[in-house]
Amino acid sequence: MPLSAYLIMSAILFTIGTIGVLVRRNPLIIFMSIELMLNAVNLSFVAFSHFLDSADGQMFVFIVLTVAAAEVVVGLAIIVSIFRTRRNIDVDEMNVLRG
Amino acid sequence: MDIGTTITFFVLAIASTASAIGVIAFKNAVNSALSMILTLVFLAMFYLQLNAMFIAIVQILIYAGAIMVLFLFVVTMLAPDQGDVGNRDPMVWQRGVATTLGIILVGALSYLIYTTFTISQQTKATGANSLSQVATKQGDIQAFGQALFHGFVFPFEVTSLLIVIAILGALIFGRRA
Amino acid sequence: MINQSLWVLLLPLIGFVILGILGRVMSRAAIRTVAWGACGLAFLFAVWNFFSMLGTPAGAGRVNDAMIYHWVISGSLQIDLGLLLDPLSATMLLVVTGVGLLIHIYAAGYMEDDPSFWRFFAYMNFFIFAMVLLVAADNFLFLLVGWGLVGLASFLLIGFWYQRRSAVAAAQKAFVINVIGDLGLMLAIFLLFNVFGKIDYTSVLGNPGLLSFGSGTATAIALLLFVACAAKSAQLPLYMWLPDAMEGPTPVSALIHAATMVTAGVYLVARTHVLFELAPIALNVVAGIGGATALFAATIALFQLDIKRVLAYSTISQLGYMFMAEGVHNYSAGIFHLVTHAFFKALLFLGAGAVIHALGGEQDMRKMGGLWSRMRITAWTFLAATFAISGIIPFAGFWSKDEILGSVLAQATATGNIWYYVLWGVGLLTAGLTAFYMFRLFFGIFTGSYRGGAVVAHTEEEEENGDEEAAGHGHHGPVGYYYIQEVPPVMSVPLIILGILSVIGGFLGSLALFNVPLARWAPLPNFLTPIFSDVKTAHEVSLGLDWTSTGASLVIALIGIGIAWSLYRKGFAYKENKNPLYQLVLHKYYVDELCNAVIITPILALGRFLNWGIEGGALDNGSKGIGSLLRGTSSVLRRLQTGYMRNYALAILLGVVLIVIYYAVRG
Repeated sequence: MPLSAYLIMSAILFTIGTIGVLVRRNPLIIFMSIELMLNAVNLSFVAFSHFLDSADGQMFVFIVLTVAAAEVVVGLAIIVSIFRTRRNIDVDEMNVLRG
Repeated sequence: MDIGTTITFFVLAIASTASAIGVIAFKNAVNSALSMILTLVFLAMFYLQLNAMFIAIVQILIYAGAIMVLFLFVVTMLAPDQGDVGNRDPMVWQRGVATTLGIILVGALSYLIYTTFTISQQTKATGANSLSQVATKQGDIQAFGQALFHGFVFPFEVTSLLIVIAILGALIFGRRA
Repeated sequence: MINQSLWVLLLPLIGFVILGILGRVMSRAAIRTVAWGACGLAFLFAVWNFFSMLGTPAGAGRVNDAMIYHWVISGSLQIDLGLLLDPLSATMLLVVTGVGLLIHIYAAGYMEDDPSFWRFFAYMNFFIFAMVLLVAADNFLFLLVGWGLVGLASFLLIGFWYQRRSAVAAAQKAFVINVIGDLGLMLAIFLLFNVFGKIDYTSVLGNPGLLSFGSGTATAIALLLFVACAAKSAQLPLYMWLPDAMEGPTPVSALIHAATMVTAGVYLVARTHVLFELAPIALNVVAGIGGATALFAATIALFQLDIKRVLAYSTISQLGYMFMAEGVHNYSAGIFHLVTHAFFKALLFLGAGAVIHALGGEQDMRKMGGLWSRMRITAWTFLAATFAISGIIPFAGFWSKDEILGSVLAQATATGNIWYYVLWGVGLLTAGLTAFYMFRLFFGIFTGSYRGGAVVAHTEEEEENGDEEAAGHGHHGPVGYYYIQEVPPVMSVPLIILGILSVIGGFLGSLALFNVPLARWAPLPNFLTPIFSDVKTAHEVSLGLDWTSTGASLVIALIGIGIAWSLYRKGFAYKENKNPLYQLVLHKYYVDELCNAVIITPILALGRFLNWGIEGGALDNGSKGIGSLLRGTSSVLRRLQTGYMRNYALAILLGVVLIVIYYAVRG
């Protein structure tokens, strides 16, 4: 398959992830959508690595994977602690910074 | 390209799109997580198709195996059956706007990719950098390892530091107030 | 010949500064010393000037232009502060400082009860300074400065009792009308500068050739100068301020509005006679307005009831005479009448002031009467002045008025112009009316029985509370007939001095009337002749004409006195008269009301409209509009800060989409 096919696939997944961030109100699902976006980007990196015949793309994926893991850890910890104080994890309820 | 690759690609494409939509569409968060795992597995298959063996395995091991499990822990801890918590959505219009923007984004990106995109032969890596050549000589994992430790040692070490910080962060957040 | 005019100028200024700064804490005696000293020393210097001038032979030697200070040096324009001493200015200086000194002395007695004693004398000294500047300046710029400053001094002194609304209004009226005159003077100076390139007297008046005879420019300059004179000397149509100016203390009325400031106009015409000679139309205007004003004011004075108002209108009338004289080329006659008028008018005002002072502030003639036996000195001096103003021989007014009427008749016969005969007739009629109303005034105040009743004068509390009427003048305690007494010497001595001057002052003029060896005796005209020597059309009055005019004026004056004697000898009995003509004249022909309706009300309405439209509409709403615009914008923009994370993410996505579209479109 040509490179552009993989890139368009990556774009589609990225968009789906974006819509998920904007539409859902459960922070866990928002988080999962963000992970989906990261994965879409990983896909395009790997595609480039394949088509450019270089390991650089896969290196990037490696790093992104690690960072995503760390991010998930901290993010979930935050969500849990919010739940502990507020008993409610609807992101729309977190509007204290409202102008 | 042979017909087998094409069919595999399209099947995988449809499947992963469907499960991705499932991630954002399911009301039940556990269903969403399971759908996510499925998407990740399909993506791993994509990687396999692209000759990125190590990444494919790592994806399944780490992402689907560790990260999503963590997600499921938290989901089950935080009242999973509530779905989208609460019933009233204060901004119903956002759904329409987000979908429209998303479609526009996809359309624009696709257009860009289709029309402007070519890879010239000069940008392809050659010689010792060429991944495929190293892979055929010494195997995929070896090729990956060689690239990692010959050029990306520093980022590698920094990521381990990052992981330490993440652990510390989790510890701090996890403490009872 | 030494020019001491600088001292004459500076001494009152120093007095003003001292009194202005320290007067509040000085004692009455100290204030008197400074004020009298400043004016008195100025008078001595003026006398010194005069005698040193007499010591110099007549001619160009009697002109001394002393440069004091370079005021403006700008390229080719140079204006100096200089003081000119020549016969005309020496005469004026003597009159200003001399009469001024007498009035200062008098005022110390008149104002002794006033809490603002120091302020009064500060303003009086300031006035003397300004008047001296006006008279002694040797260029038009400082003439203008002096002109404006005397207007200011007049404003300050008319509104001296500023707690009184009527006084403040009168002061404002005087100032506003004066400013119209200032405008005329300024425009004239601009035109002069345009023609001559310089504005000092030597360059302008010594060089009349640059203006052609009868040209539009010359006429314009002369007419504009006359506008200034009309405003300052209260001629038609700018006379309205002078009767109202009687709100000020009586010494002020005597000094400023009888003897000196109002005569500045006459002085100006005399000084710039060269320009007026070049514009015969303007001179005719001067004479005509002078005559018209004289008659007009005299008719109003016939029926007035306030003694100061009568004297104010009589001042306007006599000023009209002076302009009439100047209008028929006899400038020295105008100046002569100025001098004699200063004597007897100041005396009349001071005498009226004495009466007011003795009666505790009463000014209404209906409440006076029978004061002859209570106030002898005042009565005798007032009588002398009344004879003087009526033009009875040998009092001062006779000589000067006679000379004026004689010149008018001479001009009439020389040119054959009917209007000059009319003018002469007007002058004659006015002389008769003058005699009549002055003697009406005299009889009303001094003869008959006292009609005042026990006037309850102002109490201490009324004065402290700023009671409108109480911010005035007078003794305390009830004023019944037997409490009325003669004024103290500090007031009566100036009256006596002025009385003597009113009797003998006429001999400064010409005795050419009588074919006697002393016929060459004409001190003032001879003194002034060098200045007016270029007046080619000043006619020598032939003896026959002179006798005609003199005889006629004497006869008509005696008729006037006779009518007054028969009507008012037993005292002034006021009868309410419903005759509409009488009411018209009594209310001064309703001129003030007319001005108010035609000029003032529309301007005020325009101002209100502009206030509503521009101030309220554009400016206020404009700035309020900007404020509310900002407030509106911010309240709309505030809605972006919803607090929902998802909205912010949407905004980010929107930005990303726009960027991608941009790249897609760019191709």
